[in-house]
Amino acid sequence: MAGERTRQAQQRNRRNGSRFPGTASPPAGSSGEHEELAVGRRGFLKAAGFGLMLAGCRQAPLEKAIPFLIPPEEIVPGRSLYYASTCTACPAACGLLAKTRDGRPIKLEGNPAHPLSRGALCALGQASILGLYDKWRPRNPRHQGQDTSWEQIDAQIMERLEGLRRGGGALRLLTGTLNSPALEAVVKRFLAGFPDARRISYDPVSRSAILDAHLQTHGKRVLPRYRFDRAEVILSFDADFLGTWISPVEHTAGYREARSPDVETPRRCYHVQVESRLSLTGSKADRRIVAAPHEHGPLAVQLAAALADLAGESFPGEVQRNEGLAQRVEPLARMLWRARRRSLVVSGSPDPAFQTACNYLNELLGNYGRTLELGPASRQREGDDGALAGLLEELGRGEVGALLVWGVDPVFELPLEGRWETLLEQVPLMISLDDRLTETCGLADYFCPDHHYLESWGDREPVEGVLSLLQPCIEPLGRTRPLIESLSAWMGDSRPAYELLREHWRSALFPRQRQETSFDAFWDRALHDGVAQIEPESRSFSEARFEPRMFGDGSREVSPAEGEFSLVLYPKVGILDGRHADNPWLQELPDPISKATWGNYACLAPLAAEAIGVREGDLIRLGAVAGQGPELELPVLVQPGQHERVVAVALGYGGKATRRFAGIGPRWLEAGETVGNDGRVGVNSAPFIRLQARHLVYSGVPVRLSPTGERRQLARTQLYDAITVPASLALPGGERRPAVKEVTWEELFDPHLPVEPGTHSEHGSSQDLWPDDHPYTGRRWAMTIDLDACTGCSACVIACQVENNIPVVGRDEVRRQREMHWLRIDRYYWGQGENLRVAHQPMPCQHCQNAPCETVCPVLATVHSAEGLNQQVYNRCVGTRYCANNCPYKVRRFNWFDYAHEDELENLVLNPDVTVRSRGVMEKCSFCVQRIQEAKIEAKRRGVELRDGEIQSACQQTCPASAIVFGNINDAGSRVAQLAQSARHYRVLEELNVKPAVAYLKLVSRPDPQEEGHG
Amino acid sequence: MANPAVSLREPLIAGRKTSAQVSRDICAVLDRRPTALWWSAFLLALSTLLLGVAAVGYQISVGIGTWGLNRTVGWAFDITNFVFWVGIGHAGTLISAVLFLLRQPWRTSVNRSAEAMTIFAVICAGLFPVIHMGRPWLAFWMIPYPNWRGPLWINFRSPLVWDFFAILTYFTISLVFWYVGLVPDLATIRDRTAPGLRRRLLSFLSLGWDGSQRTWQRYETVYKLLAGLATPLVISVHTIVSWDFATSLIPGWHTTLLPPYFVAGAIFSGMSMVLTLMIVARKVMRLEDYITRQHIDKMCKVTLATGLMVGFAYVIEFFTALYSGNQYEQFVFVNRALGPFWWSYWIMVGCNVAIPQLFWLRRVRRTVWAVLVISIVINVGMWFERFVIIVTSLHRDFLPAAWSSYAPTWIEIATLAGSFGLFFTCFLLFCRFVPVIAISEVKGVLSVGRQFDEPLPPPAGARPLRAVPAAAGAVAQTEATQ
Amino acid sequence: MSRRMLLGFFERETDILDATRAVRQAGFQIADVYTPYAVHGMDKAMGLSPSRLPWVSFLLGLAGAGLKVWFEFWTTAQDWPVNVGGKPWNSLPAFVPVTFEVMVLFAGLSTVFAFLFVSRLWPGRKVRLADPAVTDHRFVLVIEESDAAFDAEKVCELLTSFHATRVEERVESEKEAR
Repeated sequence: MAGERTRQAQQRNRRNGSRFPGTASPPAGSSGEHEELAVGRRGFLKAAGFGLMLAGCRQAPLEKAIPFLIPPEEIVPGRSLYYASTCTACPAACGLLAKTRDGRPIKLEGNPAHPLSRGALCALGQASILGLYDKWRPRNPRHQGQDTSWEQIDAQIMERLEGLRRGGGALRLLTGTLNSPALEAVVKRFLAGFPDARRISYDPVSRSAILDAHLQTHGKRVLPRYRFDRAEVILSFDADFLGTWISPVEHTAGYREARSPDVETPRRCYHVQVESRLSLTGSKADRRIVAAPHEHGPLAVQLAAALADLAGESFPGEVQRNEGLAQRVEPLARMLWRARRRSLVVSGSPDPAFQTACNYLNELLGNYGRTLELGPASRQREGDDGALAGLLEELGRGEVGALLVWGVDPVFELPLEGRWETLLEQVPLMISLDDRLTETCGLADYFCPDHHYLESWGDREPVEGVLSLLQPCIEPLGRTRPLIESLSAWMGDSRPAYELLREHWRSALFPRQRQETSFDAFWDRALHDGVAQIEPESRSFSEARFEPRMFGDGSREVSPAEGEFSLVLYPKVGILDGRHADNPWLQELPDPISKATWGNYACLAPLAAEAIGVREGDLIRLGAVAGQGPELELPVLVQPGQHERVVAVALGYGGKATRRFAGIGPRWLEAGETVGNDGRVGVNSAPFIRLQARHLVYSGVPVRLSPTGERRQLARTQLYDAITVPASLALPGGERRPAVKEVTWEELFDPHLPVEPGTHSEHGSSQDLWPDDHPYTGRRWAMTIDLDACTGCSACVIACQVENNIPVVGRDEVRRQREMHWLRIDRYYWGQGENLRVAHQPMPCQHCQNAPCETVCPVLATVHSAEGLNQQVYNRCVGTRYCANNCPYKVRRFNWFDYAHEDELENLVLNPDVTVRSRGVMEKCSFCVQRIQEAKIEAKRRGVELRDGEIQSACQQTCPASAIVFGNINDAGSRVAQLAQSARHYRVLEELNVKPAVAYLKLVSRPDPQEEGHG
Repeated sequence: MANPAVSLREPLIAGRKTSAQVSRDICAVLDRRPTALWWSAFLLALSTLLLGVAAVGYQISVGIGTWGLNRTVGWAFDITNFVFWVGIGHAGTLISAVLFLLRQPWRTSVNRSAEAMTIFAVICAGLFPVIHMGRPWLAFWMIPYPNWRGPLWINFRSPLVWDFFAILTYFTISLVFWYVGLVPDLATIRDRTAPGLRRRLLSFLSLGWDGSQRTWQRYETVYKLLAGLATPLVISVHTIVSWDFATSLIPGWHTTLLPPYFVAGAIFSGMSMVLTLMIVARKVMRLEDYITRQHIDKMCKVTLATGLMVGFAYVIEFFTALYSGNQYEQFVFVNRALGPFWWSYWIMVGCNVAIPQLFWLRRVRRTVWAVLVISIVINVGMWFERFVIIVTSLHRDFLPAAWSSYAPTWIEIATLAGSFGLFFTCFLLFCRFVPVIAISEVKGVLSVGRQFDEPLPPPAGARPLRAVPAAAGAVAQTEATQ
Repeated sequence: MSRRMLLGFFERETDILDATRAVRQAGFQIADVYTPYAVHGMDKAMGLSPSRLPWVSFLLGLAGAGLKVWFEFWTTAQDWPVNVGGKPWNSLPAFVPVTFEVMVLFAGLSTVFAFLFVSRLWPGRKVRLADPAVTDHRFVLVIEESDAAFDAEKVCELLTSFHATRVEERVESEKEAR
């Protein structure tokens, strides 16, 4: 079977070093200061020589690796292998395929076989590959900050642990969500070896309340699996489920499925978002209810009460009668009631009482078991704030003898008035097992660095019964060791991770599956597919019961007094809790809503900004009302669609790790700094997180805002936000730009309404001045982007950046409007307040048939291919920038400086199929021409016809909403050709007759279902 | 010449000069040692030039990013300066060629320096398309030369290629035109210089001119032909420059109005530059008799006329946009006047339309300092016109998401200053080493407005001659180069 | 055999114009006239036929234009046709500007060179002036004493009647003859 062949292949390759996929180990001597280490291409090849030696002295992980797709006989240089693995950038555990070239991963793609992520990956996942080549990553175990060897460190640690065991001291293992069966098993065994040992886990952006609420109402501490794909009405209280909440990729796919107008039986799901700031999810909502954090509670309770009436039940919690509120929720309640068993209520609130209310609503609506499942439940978050609070108390009492930390960075993520530093100082034995130097590591006695996940074996169980495997794609770059090996080593078990993993699977997981009879077959298939389905442990749930006390007093957040604002801390797409804030790609990724890069800011509603007399870029001081307490200085960003009494600040910024960005970007006379005065990117807003009644609270803190008079210009990639031109400059009829077009659901499906046909002016309707000398007889590449599907999640932007070796330019260059992203996402606003509408419009090169850029280039550096591609010839370009000026879409990017990729180690991520552009040349989206060529050549080699869908552009491949379709429009059967017939099909700036190859599908506006009373 | 219309004019050349005086006066400047004033001006110009050289050097070594441009505004100062300088150049050709064809004798006093100005301006202009490139060292790829890349030729559909050829031709023709006009004067100077290196050099450059009437006749023909060629050329050049914009599809650029608009603008700015230079030159070089108030007056009139055309174009632009019903067009123009760059627009209107109206008043036209001030103001305004056209059109085009702004860096400002440095350095050198006024041409028009001079008295001692021996005659012969 | 010349020196444009006319009417052969600037009407007075330089200008201009338009067509549509912005291979209108410029360039340069050639002007040419002041203010009329019947006296009187300031006779050998 395929696996076998490859295995031999791998071994053969190991012998002739250079081909061996795993030779990217650090060359001798480079193992000093971790920041010193850099493996350049030369070093890479040098190390190749050591291939055998390395293979001899260490476990060669790839021995048992199985490439995905087509198992090759040999590793052919220049030919990519795909290894199925699992993304651990966040606990959602999406499946991925690591594209490796000559033994190094160069790109991550979603794994289509994965039941949750379904072939998609988010921005974070796409960017996480850069962490592998991060030269700042620790490469040696350390004791008291000194590099040492595993032998020494193990000896010492085992001795100290032995002492602890005998002394009966308490050992605590502090982790993030750790949904890895094998690891959990080892952890259990490890902890069992101590008299008093427990694992405490928390999530920096806590979802604990959901689990706690279910513990109360359903008797088990579980996180339901939300099935947005089954919902017909979604009510979300501040849950950014398309952006940052639990499992965005999975949710986005489901959400799109529930709202797709393009299937035989069109599904129109109505989405109501209650939120205080404009979130990514809110930007897609059919209806936004803008409410301050402290208003959410009452709203939910009122709604619950109203639904209880409809259901003819009596609401257990007590309700303060509030007519106004009742009026507001009444239609909502009816809408939900009509859609009972097909509706879904979710909440991002960290308040268990609030979550209980949501559970009550879902229970009342009979959604359990349908739109949200408790069995098989999700395991994507397990954090327990209560346990965390407990740990803090223990630490305070000095009861903890040893603290092991993995996967979290409390010092940075939850400073809690700096309590951690002081408490951790006192812990006799502190061991950090993280894979990077977190701020907590600084306090640890021992630092036992973990592998990067692309170097390690492992498994994840994001949803009960859904197993997702991790397999290494490269020889570890440093002398790191996975957590699972460390723990078992300290138990005197020196087996490698691979053995431990396999062992657990054989003993614990294999019995729970049906398909395969032999374990090896099961294993090989799981490894090949990257995922395996097994029987989830059956759980029993007590009948849901609700008691008044569970609902708390309806609202925990206090309403801000006059002149005060209530602070909302939110995780930002790409940055989240800041674990990946050291990733330059993510730092330069424009926020999907604010379009700001490199640092956080204080979002204020336009009215609020006016009230305190500030405009974008003004520095304001954010201070707790009660004098003392944390203070932040942040630039203002005026954010439409936000509540007037709310100031929103992103988490995850201002970490020590961001100091590395000092000096990023071109250096010249007028160059500006990327980092702030404190040498960091952004400001850490975590000090405002409170641990309140054993729960982490992120929002509702009342704060005072005081302008400082200083300014710090934001680096935004989009300076003008509206789809309408400034009112003062608009002539009648010219107010709105037709770039984004909308169609209502009725127009789309009402047979009486005339449907304007797709593919207008594709042929004919617009007369050409020229004779058409260029008929496209063969293939003709085209793309269709569904504006209704696109959520703006920006995964495509990073995917494009990785695929096409797009440089990072730094804050100052972005501020100068010189970002290099080939694919930008235009975000437009129209409407006001609650009726604010948002459109996300991905804008790659449009590959116009009559490309204006080509005509003006004096040296023929940009020309048209026979397959309709607008090609840019880098080495011919002299850089007049005329093409960029003449591009109506402004999608061309210019290399203003030598945006060199200086970092030799980082350069290992470069895609060898794509030229790295030099200074002074123009560049732009190429429709991933390298992928087109690869597929064409492959098809030719195999002597088969190139089938539709075999070529996927990087942006299309990763899109969770599958909003992007690419293909040959001359092939009538291709999806892109079919979509060209869609009633939603249109082209941007069609009237210019440049005939773009990229088309868009109109936004669909879904009026309130009850208005046309179907139910 | 003997037509009464002309004769009724006041004398073109004041102070009843004779040919001999003319040569003396004009060459005087060249014989004198440079004055302190000249030196200070020259050093100032030179240092500005060096500043520019430094700026350009830095920009080329570090990257074009040292300019304030961005993804949306790909051109700003660079092409603004380019168009500005090309425009300046045009007045020279207009004066030397067009006025020549129109038989305007007053041109003779100014055409030499105007042509010199053209050449220097075109040099300044020619620099910018090169240094504005991302990779200037590859500028020669604009030339369609056989190469090993296929051969890969150039894109003759690109206005930039048209530009390249236009500027090349314009420079060459202007230079030749200027030099041909210079030859007789060089001969004149040659014959007034004592034997020596200078004289050798002059006789080399004067191509052995001997004032033969046969040559004069051909010379006149050539001059006419060149004038005839230069006239459409000058129009074509700025037309092509305007096509850089007109053939694009950016609202505010994409308009058929641009060519005439640009040509008028060019002459407008050029004339005002000539005025600026002449007014200073005549004072410093004491040439008031040759460049009289009448000349200034006439140039003011041309300036006013072209200024009105430009003003008209400003109005028509708005009308076209409004009438087109095209929202992008309409927006661009409203945005010009009221958008973020409103100030540049109103500077342009103020300097190019409002202030030049003062030229309606004879008193202003005859008040030299006033003319000087206005001419400088016009130069500023015309620079801003190009800035407005380029930047305000680019910074807010079709898709609002791509809208952007622009602010120059110091490097850009230094580069602009440097171009002025180059221009004035060249011009000051010209004043030192070349007769600033076309001697032979001025001699040709001395009689204009001087019909009623009293005739010369019949020469005395006109005795019947005695045959001179050939040998003696041979002695009388002069060898130009010995 | 050598040539004898009679040179008349004048101070004023009008005088030499009249003198030239008169001498020509009297049937004498005018070798040449030397003037500091182009005296209008002199070519008529001397009876010179108009220059043929315009033809050079016209023909070479035409040649240049033809050559260029062919070159543009050949490079763009024949030698290596590239699809540029969907424009046709042969985008004739777009070729016009360059063609025009090249035409002017050819015409201009060729005219000048032709001029220098026919008037025998070249850098460093040895010049022999009829009078050192001829490039400054003096006008010189040179009459060839062609036949024996030539009466120097009469001509001299004729010239003096037109305010000739000086009349002088020169002999130059064949090789120096121009």
